[in-house]
Amino acid sequence: MTNIVEAKGLSKTYGSFTALDGVDLSIPSGAISGLIGPNGAGKTTTLKALTGLCDVEGELSVAGRDPRRARHKLMEDVCFIADVGILPKWLKVFQVIDYVEAVHPRFDRVKADKFLGTTDIPSNKRIKDLSKGMVTQLHLALVMAIEVQLLVLDEPTLGLDIIYRKEFYDRLLNDYYDGNRTIIISTHQVEEIETLLSHLVFINKGKIVLDSLMTELSEIYFEVLVAPDKLGQADALGPIHVREFLGKKSYTYESVPRAQLAELGELHTPSVADLFVAKMKEAKNG
Amino acid sequence: MKNTVLRNRYTLLLTTLIVYMVVLVAEGVITDREVRRVEFENPYFDLNLNDLEEFRERRNNNSNTRREDGGDV
Amino acid sequence: MGKFAIFQFYALLRREVQEHRNLFIGAPAVVALLILVASIWVITRIDQQQLAEGLRYVSVVFDGLSPFDMAPFFMLLAIPFFLTLFICSVIYLINTLYQDRKEMSVLFWQSMPVSNLQTVISKIVAISVVAPIFYVLIIFAMYLVAMIWLTILGITHDVDLVGIGWMFLAAIVSLILTYLSAIVTSLWLLPTIGWLLLFSAFARKTPLLWSVGVFILVGFLEDFIFGTQYLGNWVASRTADPNQYLIFEFSSLFERIFDYDTLFGVLVGSILIAGAVFMRRFID
Repeated sequence: MTNIVEAKGLSKTYGSFTALDGVDLSIPSGAISGLIGPNGAGKTTTLKALTGLCDVEGELSVAGRDPRRARHKLMEDVCFIADVGILPKWLKVFQVIDYVEAVHPRFDRVKADKFLGTTDIPSNKRIKDLSKGMVTQLHLALVMAIEVQLLVLDEPTLGLDIIYRKEFYDRLLNDYYDGNRTIIISTHQVEEIETLLSHLVFINKGKIVLDSLMTELSEIYFEVLVAPDKLGQADALGPIHVREFLGKKSYTYESVPRAQLAELGELHTPSVADLFVAKMKEAKNG
Repeated sequence: MKNTVLRNRYTLLLTTLIVYMVVLVAEGVITDREVRRVEFENPYFDLNLNDLEEFRERRNNNSNTRREDGGDV
Repeated sequence: MGKFAIFQFYALLRREVQEHRNLFIGAPAVVALLILVASIWVITRIDQQQLAEGLRYVSVVFDGLSPFDMAPFFMLLAIPFFLTLFICSVIYLINTLYQDRKEMSVLFWQSMPVSNLQTVISKIVAISVVAPIFYVLIIFAMYLVAMIWLTILGITHDVDLVGIGWMFLAAIVSLILTYLSAIVTSLWLLPTIGWLLLFSAFARKTPLLWSVGVFILVGFLEDFIFGTQYLGNWVASRTADPNQYLIFEFSSLFERIFDYDTLFGVLVGSILIAGAVFMRRFID
């Protein structure tokens, strides 16, 4: 399986603020990859770097190209939706669609009209007069009508109400994802997407904290509810995180052999959300 | 070189302005440029209604002359 | 250039017109309306006898004159439109690479497979070649209305109107010259276009202030470092003579385009435009 994104040592500073601090990243083709991190972690900067919208230092290859060189060539194979409403405010809906149709060689007008037909978006309204949810719907409809290898979504459902959010991911999975396309989604709302993902990346303070296929996670990370009499044993095995849960203590372990942990109690794979908290706390505690 | 020039917006601006000024100053030195009013032939620029009248008369005289020669109008 | 590239470029131009209808269409339409209204107001206040005599005079004066000879006269009538186009162009150019960064729509534009070069060129073509088309069409509409109205006046005041027909033809020819003048002016002022675009792309805030401020600074520095004033001289040469902006006869077109000063300006303008194109990489 090839990697559609290969990044090594990506660095970016804004004045005295370090947004990216030596980011190494590999994203396999056909994955649905989640880029998860707290605010200010570097998610947006990373995604902008992948799409050539932001200049970074380091080695970078996306869909076989360096985004810093021929950005416009890369954009034939990559699509990008950002969280902030970025569709041009003064154009009307149909004018934006006409524009994409004329400018993008892989845009399928019939598909776009079909997707839009299922929404309530009036074609003659200006973008600035649409609700945030509709703007996202429109942008997604446009993007889904383009045959690209890679779709990059930067907090696409931020500020949307639950109905739009659910519909967004529904469409993404059912109408768009075909196993060959790669989707990278960044978010800090972990619970919403954890069931969708096949690949997971945690980022914090400009550094990658975790980069793993979901299938591999269950071999590396374990969570176990430890009975009070085994606490000493549990501590000795070096957990990355401990928390209270229903009166018992829940221990999270990384790369400790299953056999050793089996004695402590029933093992299960932590949810992405819990794993995220564990890794963040670990980083904080050094 | 490209990395230095394209490092950030300030280096790019500076480079562009330096090239711009060098070209301008070089040209100024080579052609010994002073404030040059480029003169273009323009008989119409000072046209006003009086001139229009004169102009008309002149034209009339010309065409009258032509008619006298027996030419077609 | 492939067919698709042409469609793309057309879509870029179309976008500019759609996003800036006020500057391309609204402004000249307002000017035309004001001129018509002012003319109507003036004429309704003139003594009717004087009006009839005036019409007669105009008709006689223009009768039989070649439209090509008289066209330049009408170019002077178009001066308010030249001024409007100039002001709108400055507003357009200084904002066009700034506005989309300010409101973040640049992320959408740059997520499309359109290069920075295509983007910048389309904006230059939009303001120098496309905008004047709209201006000329609106002036034409204005002349048409005026013509119809004069005809009506002529009929009601019993004046022979043949000359007015000739006058109208001259006005039409002047529209072609007006359009060509706009193109030639854009070529002549390419350095200004480049300068405005460069700062439109560069500035994080107040691009106009940057463009004016740096200009003054650069002039000052030149004097300070080289002891010369070529920048000042050069700018003065470019703006000194109003003649430089208007084409009065078709024969002068060629010599104006291939004039040394024009071509040198194209070189200098290209340097600044190249700067603006590369500057589009820095959108944060």
